[in-house]
Amino acid sequence: MECMPTRVLVLEDDHGLRSSLRLVLEDDGYAVVEAADAETALHAVSNSPVDLMLVDLMLGGMDGFSFIQRVRPGTEAPIVVVSARDGAPDVVAALEAGADDYVTKPFDVDELKARLKALLRRPALAQTERTQTDDVVVLDRHNGPLVFDRGAALLTRGQTEIHLTHTEFRLLSAFVDNAGRVLNRSALLEHVWDTGYFGDERIVDVHVRRLRKKLEIEPSSPHTLVTVRGLGYRLDLQ
Amino acid sequence: MTRRAPRAGLRASIIVAFALGALGLSTILAVGTYFSARHLLVDQRERTALRQAYTDAALVRDSLLDAGVAVSDVLGSVTPPAGAVIYVRRDGEWYSSSLDSAGPDATAAVQPVVSSGSAGVTWTDVTDPHAVVVGIPLPAVDAEYYEVAVAEELDRTLWTLALALAVSAALTTVAGGALGLAASRRVLAPLADVTQAAVRVSGGDMSTRLTSTDDPDLVALVGAFNNMVDALRSRIEHDARFAADVSHELRTPVTTLTTSLSLLTSSTGLSPAAAHAVRLMDGELDRFRRTLEDLLELGRLDSNAVEDPATLVGARTLVTQSLLGSRRPLDLLEADATGADPLVLVNRPQILRALTNLYRNADLHGGGLTGVSVVEHEVHVDLVVEDRGPGVPPEDRRRIFDRFARAGGEKSGTGSGLGLSIVEQSVHRSSGDVWCADRPGGGAVFVVRLPKVAQA
Repeated sequence: MECMPTRVLVLEDDHGLRSSLRLVLEDDGYAVVEAADAETALHAVSNSPVDLMLVDLMLGGMDGFSFIQRVRPGTEAPIVVVSARDGAPDVVAALEAGADDYVTKPFDVDELKARLKALLRRPALAQTERTQTDDVVVLDRHNGPLVFDRGAALLTRGQTEIHLTHTEFRLLSAFVDNAGRVLNRSALLEHVWDTGYFGDERIVDVHVRRLRKKLEIEPSSPHTLVTVRGLGYRLDLQ
Repeated sequence: MTRRAPRAGLRASIIVAFALGALGLSTILAVGTYFSARHLLVDQRERTALRQAYTDAALVRDSLLDAGVAVSDVLGSVTPPAGAVIYVRRDGEWYSSSLDSAGPDATAAVQPVVSSGSAGVTWTDVTDPHAVVVGIPLPAVDAEYYEVAVAEELDRTLWTLALALAVSAALTTVAGGALGLAASRRVLAPLADVTQAAVRVSGGDMSTRLTSTDDPDLVALVGAFNNMVDALRSRIEHDARFAADVSHELRTPVTTLTTSLSLLTSSTGLSPAAAHAVRLMDGELDRFRRTLEDLLELGRLDSNAVEDPATLVGARTLVTQSLLGSRRPLDLLEADATGADPLVLVNRPQILRALTNLYRNADLHGGGLTGVSVVEHEVHVDLVVEDRGPGVPPEDRRRIFDRFARAGGEKSGTGSGLGLSIVEQSVHRSSGDVWCADRPGGGAVFVVRLPKVAQA
């Protein structure tokens, strides 16, 4: 059976950059869906799901932040922001909106390719780890119970299924593998994002916040995924 | 050659002006007081002497009216006031109540008046101290009566008065100087505030403002100063933003170029000449991209934007992360037997960028990075980056941290010329310092010194 190419949405209003990204990604084996504005991109994604999205923030009409907020609830596909804006508020706002990674222009093409591969590798990696680690981990036996089935990439509380994005899955896997131990932001950046050490540590904070909303009964006073002040985060199995 | 005397300061001028004013005023008052008092005392003394002389003259006249009484006998029976001598001239002969014979000289000034039949009062310096001379004609006995009374008491009183007034004038002058000092402080206090604010502004603190005031004399100054700082800040931010804005606008086209060129560099169907041309373009584009990133980073540093909070991190961890992030082998970090990782409180992304810039600098200009070591001191930690290059001449070691400066007349065409400037600014932002020195055995060392955080 012939393997279907990975579909990548490129939402970029600059024609030159959009075309060059298409050339590079197609050369790397991806199938590229181009969109010059957010409305076109939403239409394209709703017609035919994609596996990955590259999204510019500064767009005519609906901006990149709004696009991510609109598209995120309906897809688990990793979203990578590609933007000329590198201010901390933009990075945090994009991640809060639901982006998985943030790349600043001008970027190194090889680095971008490597990050895309890392984001897409996660589900497959989960499958390979299936035989090596516990498939099913009870995170909180008192509330639900809250169960993480790593093999099925599924989080459930009682009978309710809670969807995890790829990044959340990867992050939770890292915590489960190190349950009871403190993980600092640098280690999480390395394990979860494969971005080396220049990644923005706020990526970790934002994603931990998002993960808490799915793990905790009261995310503002967490019991399962706790903050160890000055050091990092720790998963405490309840 | 003439040398101009140094001009007195404003404070000194105010003090001197107050002191001189007080001196002038007190002198006028003292002189006025002295002469008024002197006039009064002299007048009083003359009247007293005149009254006494009339009494004594009447006594002498009455005695001389008795027939056959000699003048000398009369004077012998009269007791003159203390310090006074009585002279009587009769028939051209001078008679005195004492043994001195100064009568003709002492009374010379008043003799013409008395000779004309009137009483007279005058002063003479023939005696010591000077004396008041009263002359009274005695026509009934055909004689002239003179009484010379020394004014020792008056002189003493006047001297004491003069001394008291001089002391008062001196004290008033000192008080004037003190008042001038207080006034100068009051006047110069706003100037001191302006000076301190100007020093802070020149040190880069653009949030400095003078406190608003209700003083109508200072409102204009405070307003003008604060407006000036606002304008200066706006200008600096504008200048800083300009480079950043230009760089920002270039980001997307540069990304398009690098992305497109990456396809050509990986293409295998190019002729050798075309492949060479593509490699040249790739190299230059990479340099252009780095320069762009450096300009953006400098723009951020210049605009004083504080985006990242300081992070508590181990110095060795920082070096490890910077080596990994720049894809360099970890064994470049020299091993430490103690295993200690001293904590520093820094802006992590900026310090990582600074270290990476130093590694790149070692590669471009120093023959390659040979090692990085972490040296812990009592209150700080040194991150020492070493290379094997020709080193940096002492005269260039300060200058190489300037923008677009290159050591030893090196030709341009390698780095952006901004890397070390970014290093310096980044390290300063984390309260650290950076400098360049010789490496024992050849090469250069760049030392990044960061304040150490005490571990609990």
